[in-house]
Amino acid sequence: MRPILEVKDLTGGYMPNQPVIHNLNFSVKESEIVGLIGLNGAGKSTTIKHVLGLMEPMSGNSKIMGQTFRDEPEIYRSQFTYIPEMPVLYDELTLWEHLELTAMAYGLEEQTFLTRVRPLLEEFRMDNKIKWFPNQFSKGMKQKVMILCALLVEPRLYIVDEPFVGLDPLGIQSFLEYMVAFKNSGAGVLMSTHILSTAEKYCDRFLIMHEGRLILSGTLGELRERSGLKDATLDEIYLYVARGKVS
Amino acid sequence: MIDVKKLWRKRRNAHLTQTLKYFSLMANSGLIVSLILLIVVGSIYYAKLLKALPESFPAVLILTLLFSFWLTKSPIRTLLKEGDLVFLLPVESGMKQYFSQSLSSAIASGSFMTLFLFTLTWPIVQVFIIDGWKMYVVFAFFLITAKIFNLYVSWEERRLPYKSHQLNYRIMRFIVNFVYVYLLFNEAYIFLIAMFAIMYVLKNFVFGVFRKVHGYQWEMLLAEEQNLKMKGYRLVNYFTDVPALKQTVHKRPWLNSLGSFSFKKKNVMTALFMKTFIRSGDYLGLYIRLILIGFLFLYLIPAGWWQIAVVILFFQMLTLQLFTLYTQYRWNVSFIIYPIESDGKQAAFVKWLRGLLLLQGLLYGVFYGLLSGDWVIALLMPVAAFGYSLFRLPSMTKKHITLSS
Repeated sequence: MRPILEVKDLTGGYMPNQPVIHNLNFSVKESEIVGLIGLNGAGKSTTIKHVLGLMEPMSGNSKIMGQTFRDEPEIYRSQFTYIPEMPVLYDELTLWEHLELTAMAYGLEEQTFLTRVRPLLEEFRMDNKIKWFPNQFSKGMKQKVMILCALLVEPRLYIVDEPFVGLDPLGIQSFLEYMVAFKNSGAGVLMSTHILSTAEKYCDRFLIMHEGRLILSGTLGELRERSGLKDATLDEIYLYVARGKVS
Repeated sequence: MIDVKKLWRKRRNAHLTQTLKYFSLMANSGLIVSLILLIVVGSIYYAKLLKALPESFPAVLILTLLFSFWLTKSPIRTLLKEGDLVFLLPVESGMKQYFSQSLSSAIASGSFMTLFLFTLTWPIVQVFIIDGWKMYVVFAFFLITAKIFNLYVSWEERRLPYKSHQLNYRIMRFIVNFVYVYLLFNEAYIFLIAMFAIMYVLKNFVFGVFRKVHGYQWEMLLAEEQNLKMKGYRLVNYFTDVPALKQTVHKRPWLNSLGSFSFKKKNVMTALFMKTFIRSGDYLGLYIRLILIGFLFLYLIPAGWWQIAVVILFFQMLTLQLFTLYTQYRWNVSFIIYPIESDGKQAAFVKWLRGLLLLQGLLYGVFYGLLSGDWVIALLMPVAAFGYSLFRLPSMTKKHITLSS
């Protein structure tokens, strides 16, 4: 299957000559959910910022559909949507206006927007809250707004940073069902998470980061093989790796 | 597509409305009267100072330094919001129009402020450099031109992905500005024309290149915007309570010893207040400034027992300003649910503030004693601080804290 996102020899950080992530190589292909896992401070968010084009690589690059952000900023950014770890909303916009704004930013036709938005709102049980403002939402509801905005666009690639925190079980279920449905219709997903049991069930491949480096990657079977832990769960492999037993 | 121009206009209008609202609140507060008083007194002393300055006063050098700093430091309000980092990312290239609007508005206000600053220094220019309204116009023109140049290229500078690289270019701009202003105040117009050529090259072939190599640094732009917003809020906060004010935290490790207390429950609140005081926002700066301004007053006003009233006025000012520190924790849930009585929290606040007042009084006393040699009145200053903190402070605290919560 064709790769959507290709990260090649990516090194980057916040200060010159002090990289936080080192020589990352990975890809997300069509119809694939890739789990990005690692301890706090492992470099997951920095990696995601590079993929988003919010940070510039020191060396290497990140390509979406064969193009880097520098080649074609507009096209690069229109290929994905992003769900941040912390929901960031505009205090002065209602739920509905956030959805409208997203649709406009990605250049969706109004008709497409209207046909997509209703079922989404119902699925996440937010259809009676479209006139609400962010200060009336709980943390989980804010997270739902971010998710709705991202799903609405139906891009080729989803970049998701820790989506489950604060979400109710039904919300988590709906989100995962959507992810699977979009995956089956060809989209790719890069998802950073700490909820390993869920990741194990839904992700096709895993990238395990430690201290800014990718130290283990592959399908669950491949991870087991490489770590030498037969029949281990993702949890067990991850703990094994995080305690520094793989070099 | 999103109409970014409209978005900018909407935000700018909201920003203007808010500024006006805060401005009227400031105008209504009593402190504006003291500000006017300060301006009147200030201008009298300004005139006196001008007369007292010696012939050899290095006016050119000082003004050159002042304007070089002013020109180099070119803040730009982008009015970005946190949500933009998610919602506006897909329209990156469309943001050009948005940002060019914010740059134009920075140029407008920057030019105005440059003119204002130059007008403030005009009396010095008249005395030490050159007089005549024509020169006022010429100097103002050149300074505003330089300001526009600086804002323009510093916007391009903001595309550099690392702070340290931005700083290098800022230092370069400072040097250019210094030479430019120095030539201006020496009326070396031919050299100034040469400077224009250098600036043209810099603009097109140095700073102009960044645009082709780098995208916008969204996170840094957002951080700058929030920083500038908080600066504005902090200014307003001197006059009226600003709920949106988030204090920035400075580590200041050299003051850590002041914030350490023995591990006992009774110390918990005092420790919290002290740690907040030394690390959070502007409290420490405010304390030091108030003490220094107090010194100035003690120096300017003729010696006598009325100086006690002056220092009490400064105790009062400090107390009023530092109540914000308590109200900063008003909505902090752990602060509310700690198993400590509300009276206990207030008492700890009073106790903590008493320490600061005593130190303030002591410093005033020493300063006054050394100045006038009248050690009786000097001794009365820390005593007054103690009396103030014993009789006036508790009731004021009670009143202020019940009012604001």
